[in-house]
Amino acid sequence: MTGPVPAGPLPDRPESDRLPSDRPLPAAPSLARDAGWHRLHPLSPLVRAGRQMMSLLVVLVGIAVLNQHQDGNLVADLVVIVAALVGGFVSWLVTRWQLAGGVLRIDTGLLRRDSRRFPLSQIQAIDVVQTGLARLLGLAELQLRIAGGDSARGGRLACLRLADAEQLRRQLLALAAVPAGGLAPQVTGLSYQAEAVPDPAGQPAARMLFRVRAARLSVAILLSRSGATALVVAVATWLTVQFSGSAGVIAPFLPVAFGVVAALWRRFNGEYGTTVVAAQDGIRLRSGLVQTTAETIRPGRIQAVRLVEPLIWRAFGWCRLEVDVADARQRREDRAEGQRLRALIPVGSRAEAGLLLAELLAGPPLPAQPAPARARWKAPLSYHFLSWNADDRYVVAARGRVCRETTWVPLEKVQSIRWVQGPLQRSLGLATVHLDVAGKRVSAKIEDRDSTEALQILAALPDLARAARSRAG
Amino acid sequence: MIDPGGPASLGRGKSGPGEPDVSWLRPSPLLLRARRIEVAVVTGPAAVIGGLAGQVVSAAAGIAIAAAIVLAGLLAERFLARRVASWGYAERNDDLMVRRGVMIRRLSVIPYGRMQFIDVTAGPLERALGLATLRMHTAAAASDARIPGLESGAAAALRDQLAALGEAQAAGL
Repeated sequence: MTGPVPAGPLPDRPESDRLPSDRPLPAAPSLARDAGWHRLHPLSPLVRAGRQMMSLLVVLVGIAVLNQHQDGNLVADLVVIVAALVGGFVSWLVTRWQLAGGVLRIDTGLLRRDSRRFPLSQIQAIDVVQTGLARLLGLAELQLRIAGGDSARGGRLACLRLADAEQLRRQLLALAAVPAGGLAPQVTGLSYQAEAVPDPAGQPAARMLFRVRAARLSVAILLSRSGATALVVAVATWLTVQFSGSAGVIAPFLPVAFGVVAALWRRFNGEYGTTVVAAQDGIRLRSGLVQTTAETIRPGRIQAVRLVEPLIWRAFGWCRLEVDVADARQRREDRAEGQRLRALIPVGSRAEAGLLLAELLAGPPLPAQPAPARARWKAPLSYHFLSWNADDRYVVAARGRVCRETTWVPLEKVQSIRWVQGPLQRSLGLATVHLDVAGKRVSAKIEDRDSTEALQILAALPDLARAARSRAG
Repeated sequence: MIDPGGPASLGRGKSGPGEPDVSWLRPSPLLLRARRIEVAVVTGPAAVIGGLAGQVVSAAAGIAIAAAIVLAGLLAERFLARRVASWGYAERNDDLMVRRGVMIRRLSVIPYGRMQFIDVTAGPLERALGLATLRMHTAAAASDARIPGLESGAAAALRDQLAALGEAQAAGL
């Protein structure tokens, strides 16, 4: 698939056979002629380098202030910056993308050509991400989420003009929704009239499902685990200052404090203004304060839904609703953030969660079968909420005492089923059944069932899942 | 197709969880030999080094340390036999079942249609004994389907068979 492939089998339209160097640089790629090659926006190297540039600039200013006498260093650093910009420009120059025959193709690389093809039918979700700098410039990055790929090598177009990114996203989703059999003719049909692709945002079909309240979000984040960490750090700092009598001793605390505040800020920035809309092409999710993300999850691509109710939030009747989509595998450094699922509801009332849940899953069962009483010996705390339930479409499992987690898994998404029994469970005659789904290591755990019942579950679920799969097609 | 394992199926004690009418296939007996060699390769040099290090204090300490390490190796060997015996797999009509574990017992069911890819690996020791390990991957990272100690011919045959079954029953994500 990949490799230094030239223009490839293109539809027999003359303009599509041209090499990109022959083409005038389209500042605004006309998406209607989707068989042709397009470039990214000329300012994209600036945006892509934006974050690193900022930190580099801070360092540079620091260096310049500290040793003003050494002008040589400054020149050397300027050379580094210019080299980085030139590198970004060259990378922009050799990057081009094309949409043809139901496949999005992205070619890049100067010395080592890299050509990637993304069959649209494989798309799990599409994100439009705008960093702060990109918003100032009116640009946006388009990210394709493909199952199982490496996130570093995933499909991303950075950057396009915001309007183009939005339009391309709609077009990709419309094309992806076309059944595989009729793909080729439909694509060309659509490509000539890209404007005719229905705009779900402008249609009454798009319904607002949820909007987070900023005040509640800030309170909820302060009452969450990261908020508690911040409180502990603040109290520790204050106590240290009180007992030592001088403010200078807090210097060692500063990096920790900075990290805590940054974590709080990241969460607030990421979840601020979360809006969930049901549209024709899937569930639309928008969020962000400075960096905004607009995500579209295609219907039927949800692998799991999880309702999280931490102890303190329960007192307010608040909860968090997360979804899992089969996603690119996270790189090691991204893993901490990757483990956190995408929150449809960062914080909301149970009624809001119930409404959205009913929208995501058709008539989900509620956990109704509690674990046997002897499970209390194995899980004294979490026994309280341990229960599960299933119908012919979904399995639901609840666990956790301090932080209650309820996970729904559509049976047709189950990848494998595991029965696990530890030594303590064996002496109590208990066992746990895991239902694994594609995604970030999410599995619904039916914990601490009677081991006979667990074996019955293990025996019955594969057949139920197969029936659900064949129903789903 | 399978009897939802009733209490009778639990009464099989050491043989682990399993439904009555599932016929478990087992890894090659050579797997136990491979594991024993691995333990010996670790224990032998460790005992020698530990014994020599103990000589610094006194001769008795050196001998005691070496004896303790050898004893630990022998205990591990006793445990190994049970662990190797716990492995089993069964090909059913629509899925593969794999079971393993003594302390923590596990039984996995992987529908053929969910297989993403299969790999067969063999380390130097396994190659010397003509063994191979077969591993099935699904889209879920948590899926756990590994069958060690298959004779390499059997592993290749099983791989081809599973691949064919997977292709016939493939399901989208």
